[in-house]
Amino acid sequence: MAKAKIKFADVNVTVTVPVGTRIIEISEKVGSYIAYNCREGDCGSCLFTVLDGAEHLSKPSALENATLFAHFQQVLDGWRGAGDMEALQEMMKRENFAGKICRLACQTQVFGDATVAPL
Amino acid sequence: MSAQPVRYDAVTVTERVHWIGALDPTMRTFDVILKTPNGTTYNAYLVRGSEGVAVIDTVKAERADQFFARLEAVADYREIKVIVLNHLEPDHSGALPELMRRAPQAKLYISDAAQLMLKALLNNNDIDYIPVTTNDSVSLGDCTLRFLNTPYLHWPDTQCTYLVEEGVLFSGDVFGCHYCDEQLFNDRVGDFRFSFEYYYAHIMRPFKSYVLSALELIEPLPVRLIAPTHGPILRDHPQHYIQRYRELSTPRLHLEMDRDIKTMIIFYISSYGNTMHMAEAIRDGAAEVGGFRISLYDLEGGEVEPFIDLVEEADAILVGSPTINGDAVKPVWDLLSSFARINVKGKVAGAFGSYGWTGEAVRMIDDRLRGLKMRVPLGGLRIKLIPGADELKDCHLFGRDIGEFLMGKPRAREIDMSQL
Repeated sequence: MAKAKIKFADVNVTVTVPVGTRIIEISEKVGSYIAYNCREGDCGSCLFTVLDGAEHLSKPSALENATLFAHFQQVLDGWRGAGDMEALQEMMKRENFAGKICRLACQTQVFGDATVAPL
Repeated sequence: MSAQPVRYDAVTVTERVHWIGALDPTMRTFDVILKTPNGTTYNAYLVRGSEGVAVIDTVKAERADQFFARLEAVADYREIKVIVLNHLEPDHSGALPELMRRAPQAKLYISDAAQLMLKALLNNNDIDYIPVTTNDSVSLGDCTLRFLNTPYLHWPDTQCTYLVEEGVLFSGDVFGCHYCDEQLFNDRVGDFRFSFEYYYAHIMRPFKSYVLSALELIEPLPVRLIAPTHGPILRDHPQHYIQRYRELSTPRLHLEMDRDIKTMIIFYISSYGNTMHMAEAIRDGAAEVGGFRISLYDLEGGEVEPFIDLVEEADAILVGSPTINGDAVKPVWDLLSSFARINVKGKVAGAFGSYGWTGEAVRMIDDRLRGLKMRVPLGGLRIKLIPGADELKDCHLFGRDIGEFLMGKPRAREIDMSQL
């Protein structure tokens, strides 16, 4: 079976996994800070960021995209009146911020070498 | 002789607000986990403005007759313009479908997070509602209901609603308790402080950080009365209860000792001293990393309650157990089963233990720790019977590696998934 190497930068662990493995199946076993909750792509808890090799990860489904955007809206609401609003909006306006750099660990499958970290 | 029909009246709370809830004095166990020696109340409220009436929360379906009778005593269904549900748990949403049937013109206001739950709870996809969040409001003519998004107190959907003109905070389960006294108001009911504290400890405690976020929204408000969904209405010194929530939710260790130093706790229990020797070697290994405080506790020498207080404020928890009859021992499970009452998510954790035959305990503890969403960087360490010099060295390295992980400088590791 084809293998790939996925590195969790926060815990400095690289794991060789069979291609197709979901990030969440590994992240919780190496103690990564990536949090998780529903495991169904619904809650947005398992958000993580891709530091390298985004092209080697599965494409986000419609469900994942919807959850990512809902999550960012929530973050935005939470920051209302916090002062750093502009900086946050600027960050979120970046083209395809959700989906490219940020993904859900319960949905994303590993197809080749990549480096990831909690958001 | 026929019994007199019971008459249910609404109770005046303020000029615009009536209590239209239900008393449930026979309830003894709430939601499986909570005891109550005198029952509970399901508090619902009616707010009358110059241009319509709002109903805030409903009651458990089994007590809906009380709710509707009290509502009818002060309003006509056709006057209801607004229904607010601060929390969708069935003890507050039970009478909602019937209320919406009787007042079809009313608009339902719920939090953003409540939307999916509403469908799942009522098994109805056709309910019309308006999702709201902090700073959204709805006018009743001469008065305004403003919403505060206060999630995870104690469900994702929870919110508070504030009646601006009268300083009334409809707080949902926050500031509530299971206490049934028909005198209703905190200055007239019996001493309910034990119940208030107990409710916080079992319902709100796992969500302390969310309590603190909610208090940021609540504390600036000139609250004159708190109207929770359970227990007494807090009209006498309402600020006292807000302050109490602040006290109960603020981490104490970091206030009373050095706030920047992390804490590791190593719990163990040992029949012949082997698991204890492992614990000591792990502590020595962790101490080598330095920069954090380490405490070693024998579970045989203490009660679960104070240990839980320690765990709540610690950053890393290691648990050592021998294996007896293929399982970790009962004091270990008593400790681990109590972790659900606090928030341990994200804390660093690990398991270890000496065993005689098969050593299942360590893997079981690992699974429990991971199941609680603690971060378990290394698979548990198992040693057969008496740890020798090499094995004590393994313990030392185990402690060191977890210490380094705790301090945010984990050693690089390359592993195959099959090793996990």
